[in-house]
Parts: sequence; C-alpha cells; structure tokens
Amino acid sequence: MKVSSEEVQTRVKKLFEDGTIAHFIGYETGSDSLRVTPCFLKSGQAASRLVWNPLCANNLSKYLLDFKNVEGRVGIIVKGCDSRSVVELLKENQINRDKVFIVGIPCSGIVDREKLLEVLGVSPGDVVAVEDDGDAFLVTLKGGNQRVEKEKVLRGECLVCKYPTPLVYDVLLGEAISSLPWVGDEYSLVKEQEALSSEEKALYWNREFSQCIRCYACRNICPVCTCPECIFDKKAPRWITKANDVSENLVYHLVRAFHVAGKCIDCGECERACPMNIPLRSLNKKVEKDLLELFDYTAGIDVEQQPPLTTYQLGDLDEFL
Amino acid sequence: MITPRIGVFVCNCGTNIGGTVDVPQVVEYAKNLPYVAHAESNLYTCSEEGISSIKHGIKEYDLNRVVVASCTPRTHQPLFRNACADAGLNPYLFEFVNIREHCSWIHRQNPGEATEKAKELVKMGVAKARWLDAQEEFKSEVYPTAMIIGGGVAGMSAALNLANQGFEVHLVEKEPELGGRLLKLNRIFPINQDPSELVGNIVKSVEGHSKIRLHMPAVVKSASGYIGNFDISVDEGGKEVSFKVGVIIVATGAQVLKPELYRYGELANVLTQLDLEQRLKDGELEEFKNVVMINCVGARIPERPYCSRVCCMTAIKNAALMKEINPQAKVYVLYRDLMTYGVEFEEYYREVKEAGVRFIRYTPSNLPQVMGAERVESVRIYDELMDMELELPCDLLVLATPLIANDDNEELSKMLKVPIGDGGFFLEAHIKLRPVEFPMDGIYVSGSCRWPADIRESIAQGYAAASEAVIPLRQGLVKVEAITATVDPKICKGCGTCVLVCPFDAIELKESEIRGLEGKIVSEVNTALCKGCGLCAAACPNGAIQQRGFTDTQLISMVNALSGKR
Amino acid sequence: MKLQDTKEVQTEFKPKILAFCCNWCAYAGADLAGVSRFQMPTDVRVIRVMCSGRVPPELIIRALANGLDGVMILGCHPGECHYSEGNYLTRRRSHVLKRLLMYIGIEPERFQLRWVSAAEAAKFTAVVKEITDKITALGPNRWVDKR
Repeated sequence: MKVSSEEVQTRVKKLFEDGTIAHFIGYETGSDSLRVTPCFLKSGQAASRLVWNPLCANNLSKYLLDFKNVEGRVGIIVKGCDSRSVVELLKENQINRDKVFIVGIPCSGIVDREKLLEVLGVSPGDVVAVEDDGDAFLVTLKGGNQRVEKEKVLRGECLVCKYPTPLVYDVLLGEAISSLPWVGDEYSLVKEQEALSSEEKALYWNREFSQCIRCYACRNICPVCTCPECIFDKKAPRWITKANDVSENLVYHLVRAFHVAGKCIDCGECERACPMNIPLRSLNKKVEKDLLELFDYTAGIDVEQQPPLTTYQLGDLDEFL
Repeated sequence: MITPRIGVFVCNCGTNIGGTVDVPQVVEYAKNLPYVAHAESNLYTCSEEGISSIKHGIKEYDLNRVVVASCTPRTHQPLFRNACADAGLNPYLFEFVNIREHCSWIHRQNPGEATEKAKELVKMGVAKARWLDAQEEFKSEVYPTAMIIGGGVAGMSAALNLANQGFEVHLVEKEPELGGRLLKLNRIFPINQDPSELVGNIVKSVEGHSKIRLHMPAVVKSASGYIGNFDISVDEGGKEVSFKVGVIIVATGAQVLKPELYRYGELANVLTQLDLEQRLKDGELEEFKNVVMINCVGARIPERPYCSRVCCMTAIKNAALMKEINPQAKVYVLYRDLMTYGVEFEEYYREVKEAGVRFIRYTPSNLPQVMGAERVESVRIYDELMDMELELPCDLLVLATPLIANDDNEELSKMLKVPIGDGGFFLEAHIKLRPVEFPMDGIYVSGSCRWPADIRESIAQGYAAASEAVIPLRQGLVKVEAITATVDPKICKGCGTCVLVCPFDAIELKESEIRGLEGKIVSEVNTALCKGCGLCAAACPNGAIQQRGFTDTQLISMVNALSGKR
Repeated sequence: MKLQDTKEVQTEFKPKILAFCCNWCAYAGADLAGVSRFQMPTDVRVIRVMCSGRVPPELIIRALANGLDGVMILGCHPGECHYSEGNYLTRRRSHVLKRLLMYIGIEPERFQLRWVSAAEAAKFTAVVKEITDKITALGPNRWVDKR
C-alpha cells in the first residue's frame, strides 16, 4: 500500500486543524521534476504543496534544530533513516520530544538523480514524475513511461539500508517494511577499501581530499552536526587554517567523521550535498562498522543507549602498536 | 590583551644538564622565540640564587610569563610557582620544561642531538606559555566535624581519635548498641578475654565523650556535597536528622556468610563459628564428644575466590576452647591451608596441636562429606598424607565461613559515590599507597567493610583513617589546584557528553542564569569535585569545556611548535 | 655535505615523534628512566597531560597532518588510572581513531597506545626504542605529499 501525496496532505491539514501542530516540515516539488525541496508550513492552507515520492531524499530532521525555541509543536515527515537521526538528536538533548509530532513513512528506496538520468539516457526536462512500483520505479517521461529496476538507480545509502521503517513516530502512514530485498553486506564497499594497501589508500584519499573546496556543505546539511559554534569556524583554538590544502582538508574530514562517530546514521545527505562528489559516506561507514565490531553499537536505535565513546567495558581491546 | 613577555630560565643543574646539553646555545635559541623578552641560564635554578634571579628577572624585564627548562615538574613545580607568586606574578603563568630526565640524562652519548631536542622542548614550552592564563585556586572552608558510619571497633577507634583531638564527631550506628560483631564473640585470642570487657571500655568512652554525638539506631539516608562540606541526612528511629560534616569515615564492617553447604540449616548440630561463639557466650552449647571443624566453607571458591583471613585463627582458638571444656573430646580441624601468619599465630597453632587437636588437610577436589539423618553423625574425609579415607565420628560440626560484604554496601556506595570492588567490599584509592582513603577526597574507609580484618587490624585502620581525615579538618581549608574544567556557556550546546564521561560526577546540566542565556541548558562544573583529569575537554565536540592549564589552544600550540607549523 | 660518495648512505632520516604522557604513570615512568640513566634515541618529544584521557583524537589527527612522523599516547595500565576511568575512554577512542587513520592510508605504526606505569622505566625505554626503530624504517610521514 503506497502512501500518496494526497494522503500526506490530508493528514497534515487535519493536524493543523485540530491544533496538534503549529508548524510542519515536509517535502514539496523543487526546481525541476527530479528535485524535491523541504517545505515549511505555518498552516494547513498550503498543505496541497506537500508531496511524497521516491525523490524525497532530504533528511528533514536537520531543520528541527531551527524550531527549538519556536512556540508550538512542529510536525515533520521522517523516513526510516531520518527517524534514526531524530533518535540521536533526542539523545543529545538537542530537541524536545513533546515539541515534535513525527509523521513516519516507511521508505522503499530513494532515486539517485544522476544514476537515473544516466540509466535512462535522458535529461531532467524529459522527466515528468517518478513513482514507487514495488521492486522498480515507474518513471513518467514526456515520451512515454519506463520501468527501471530499483537496484540500478537507488542512492548508495538505500542500497545498504537496514531500517526502512521509522523507529520513532507519532503516527505511521502506510505499512511497515521489515527489510529491503536488495540489501546484502552493508559494509562490502568499506571492506573493499580496507583491502587496499596503505599506499593505494593514501593516494586515493589524497586525490579525494584535494578536490574538497571546504564549502562545509556536508557539515551544514548533516542532522547530527549540531554545534551552533563549530570548532572549524573558531580562531581560538585554531584547529585548521583557512588554507584550502590537503592537510587542512584531511584534518577537517577526519575530525568531523570522529565527531559524528556514534551519531551518523548514514542518511547520505553529506555525499548528496557535496559539490565535488567526494565519497564521504565511505569514511562514516567505516567508523560505523568499527563501532559495531568493537563495541556492538548501532546509532539511532535506542534513545537510552549511551554514546560508545562516553563509556567503556573492562574487556575492551587494549594497548596496541 | 597584554602582549606576552616570556622569560626563559635554562638550568645547567651543575653538569647534569650542562654536561650534555649546550645550555648557552639553548638560551640563544630561546631569545629568538616568539614573545620571549628575556632568556638566561642558571647553574641551579632551584637554588636560592636561581630563585632570586627568576624574581629579579620578572621585575627587571617586566615578564608576565615564566618558563623554566630544567628537571621534572613533578618535583619543583611548586617551588617555581611560589617564586613567581612572591614576585607578584600569578603562579599559573609559569611553565616547566623537562630537559633533564627527558633529555640530558637519557641522551648522554648524543650531546648534539640532545641540544637540538632541548631547543625543541623549550620551543614547545614557550608556545604553551604564551597561552597561559592567570588562575585563582578554588578554596573551600572545611566544617570541623566528622561523620563515622559504623559503631564497631574500627568506627569507635576512629571516633575517639578524632574526638580526642577536639573535633566533633557524628557516629551513626544502625544497631541499637555499639560494638559491632565483637559483641557476639565469646572469647578473643590470644588472651581468651571476654570481648565485652574489651569493647565495654571503648563503648563507655564513646558514649561518655562530650565531642561524640551518637545517632543510634540510625541509618544514613542521603549524603551530598564535597570534602569540607558534606550535607548529611540520617533516619534516627523514624526522625530525620540533618547535619553538615567536613569528612566521612566508612566503617560499616562485614557479615558472616551463612553457607548452603554441609547441610547447614538442615541439621541441628551444624553451626558456623559465629554460631558457636554465641552459643558458648550464652552458655547454650550442648555436650559434645566429637567436634569436627571445617575451614574455608564457601571461601576460596570460584564465586568467592578470596581468603577471609580471620577464620583460621577463630577455628583454632575455638578448637582449643573445645578441648578446654572437654579434655576428653576429640577435636578435628579440617583445613585447606592454614593462615597462621606471624609469630604469635604460628606459636599458638603449635600449642593447640600439642594439646591434642588434630589437623587434617583436604583439597577442593575431595570435599568432606557430612553423614547423618536427623543429626550429623560422622564426617568422611580423604586424608592425603595417609592416603586413606577416614570417617570421623561427629556430634558437633562447626563451619568456618568467610566474612562477606554487607547487603547495604551497594546502596551506601551509591549514596556516597564511592567505589565497590571485588566481592562487594569497598575499594580503596590505591591498594598499596592509599589503603584507608577513597578516590573521592574527604571520604575514608577502615575495617572489614574494606576487607576482612581482625580486631587489631580494624583498630589500627580506624586510627589510620582518623589520621588521614584529620588533615583537612586541621587545615580548615581545602585548596584545589587550578587545573580544573571550566565551561563557556555561550558555546555549550547542552549535549551532556561531558556529564557522561566525568568519573567524579562533577558536571551537571543546568539552566543558565547568565544574562542573555537565561533558560539555556548548559553544563556547569562543580570545581570542588573536579579533579582536573580533562576527560570532558577531550570529549567535548566544540571545545565549550576546557581544562585550565591544558586547554586545546595550549596543546595545539605545542604540537604546531614541534611540527614547525604556524 | 658537498662531495658525497654515491655509495655512502644518505643522511639518516631522524623521525619526529610526539608522546603524550599522563602525569601519574607514563610521565613518571619517563622520569624514572631518566633518573636511572637509561639511554635511548633522541627522537621522541613528550607533552605532559594529567590523564591520557585528556588527549583529544583531533590533536592526533592534527599532529599527523602536520607531518609529524609518529604520535603515541602513553597512559596508566587499565584499572590503575589515577582518575579511575580515564584510560578506558582513551582506549576506546584510540581504537576507533587508529582504524580510521589506517583506512585513509596512514601506516598503523604511526599511532600507538601503550601503558607505562610509574615504575616501568624499562618499558618506557623499550617503547621509545621500538617506535623509533619502526618509524625510522617506515620513513618520513609523506601522506600529505601523495597526490
């Protein structure tokens, strides 16, 4: 049972009408048919703008931080991954649970815009709409319809998604999805990378980090990067200089990966936002894998679970070379 | 911001440094470091001459930071800090560089490289010094009172010791009488004295002492605060009594294990050693002809691997007593190992053996077996030395069981925030070097609640805890070295990470009362509880919480100085 | 060094190695090594912190990105931390950081975590010798130069 845009609109209208919410964060159509953008509503009047479709990539939980001191309850749409960043925000006391009304929608995969255009061999102007069709996407083109197998065009994070159904919500639209059929070893790409030699790895990441223009889009879009004053913007202490060179870029990316360790839930927004196509998810996925292996820890599941680096077990791995 | 003017004093330490490191070269090098206003060398910077050259240098060259490059800060840091203070410079504007233990002494064959290393270490020290801030030490007055939890011999000894020194003592005892486990004992080795006499005198002194306020029966309900300033609430027979103390001594003792072995509780003539003592004391022991005592019952086994120390001597003492009461009786002591350490115990053991008590060794793989239907009739044991199975007739079976932790240890540990170690006993700060203190300042421990102890040890530990506790009481003031943590509430996002990592519960999330930040949830450090470890500073993602004297800026500057980065 | 026999070995590479030592154990152990006059290579520079738990992983990353050839954290043995828990946290952070550093191509020898108690002057000396040897063999930290 697919969830339609209309269902979302009706639901949100009602939430405004019965006074449950005073604001809503959802999705609306973006600058072209393959783009969707966050939509901020203050009443049910414009609810018809809201959409729900396989293009709804954004992790809207980021915007909850902006509503922290605003009067009235904020409603929000979360997919499975988004709900996990909500859990992390709750853990860190960055949002107040009673001030948020969570509309959860189980998600069976988001389209990667570039992959779709390449597979279909079309340009954005040719696309009218994209719909979920079970194990494929139904793409309405100007010149007819096409069915594309999901695995070919899904976003990287969807290919390894273990939590398609939101873990925290006030109301769930649609039916819960227990697992996605294409998900195998979520760390296969990390393992491939781990298998390279030190030299190869260094060359690879040097190349990638040299591309970085330090626009900080990855940090700005990340829902668990919540520090109002980021250490990279500070002059004292000065962790990195403004120079756009590989050593500063390296420090920035590694430190950020460390700071979101245990909080990153692989929503993929950082990579999606990066204008230089740097494979940022690879770093965070590696940390995620290590936290699981070393400490049996998974982010975004349990609000009560303590961040892994704030606690310890007597049997933890010990001194090393 | 005043421009830093750093003075660098490089010590020769006689030839200890100067014999390997080219000190004049280091001084020349230091002169060219950023913000260095003056650099000189001394023969012995810690000598009177050296100290006065620091004081003189501060005034003459208008220095506002001092770096001494000499030995290890772990010896002379207080000396040089005081020198700065005497010259009117805040003692925390001082930085120590170690070019002796960490340089000249370990690189004697490489004077050239040692000199280069010394220069780099000075460069790092100067880089840090530039970022040092003046600090004020947190001072807190100490309430001239103590609370002692537990009115056994350990607690009473501590109480008398402190009260006799003139301090007020609140003694909290949960039973309706003082004396603890001693009251239940029949005789004390080696003089076979009635403990009521021994304890009786101590109890009289305690009850009659003008400085001891007895809360009995009473239990501690809550304890909060820090050294010098503990707020205590006690439930005294239904009434709540509150008071403030400066120090706390925990002397709550232990309990004797009631075993589930050898059919204890099932058969009437199976007793623990404590049961035996009580029966003897009350004159309620039946006649006996064959006594078998088993040691290490429920002790030195996987779930309780420790040795309880006091039971062997108790068993031997009571075995001798059995023989005294009925010289014809056969008395056997079945043991695994005998803890009869020292001169007196070993001698006593020999005497008891000569008096006719038989000692038979058993191993955990071959436990004695208790035979009998309604009552114990015999005990089977495999005697290793004779390689025979023996069946000892028995009409009184006495089990030596270990002391185990009190049931309320855990609750008390949470209340006082003190650690529990193996077996549920309290854990001291350091097993060798700090045996009667907790890691938390102002709280001390003595007696069996820490580890099974006999009377002599309990009293000694009571005295020891009292003499540790009296230090802050006498000083009247607690000073905390200014290397504690501090939060910038403007930056703090209230994530609580620092609260989670602090081992001393010194950080709390609170609503800020600062103008402009009202209502913002931020961390706040209780400086009195902060021990200056810096875990919070390392865990904080945006540097909102920093450790004075070890700030991120200071550490980064040292790393950059070493790597030649600006 | 103008005329050089081509068969002669190049000026030997001398690494620059940073060691964060905790005040109560590792720093004291290093002091004891000094008092005992244990001789060792000159390439290690010590920074004193009160607890190994003070060392932020960011600083290790900064140090390696700056080109330092090796970084070590030396602390108290687990169970002996002066602040009771600091080294347990250091342990966890260090393992996560270590794996991340290796993932991006920094050789594992360049970041080390060791426990040195106040009495272990010999261990301190051995660790200094070991890491100096290992990093000298590895060569300079050229991560940043690899483009």
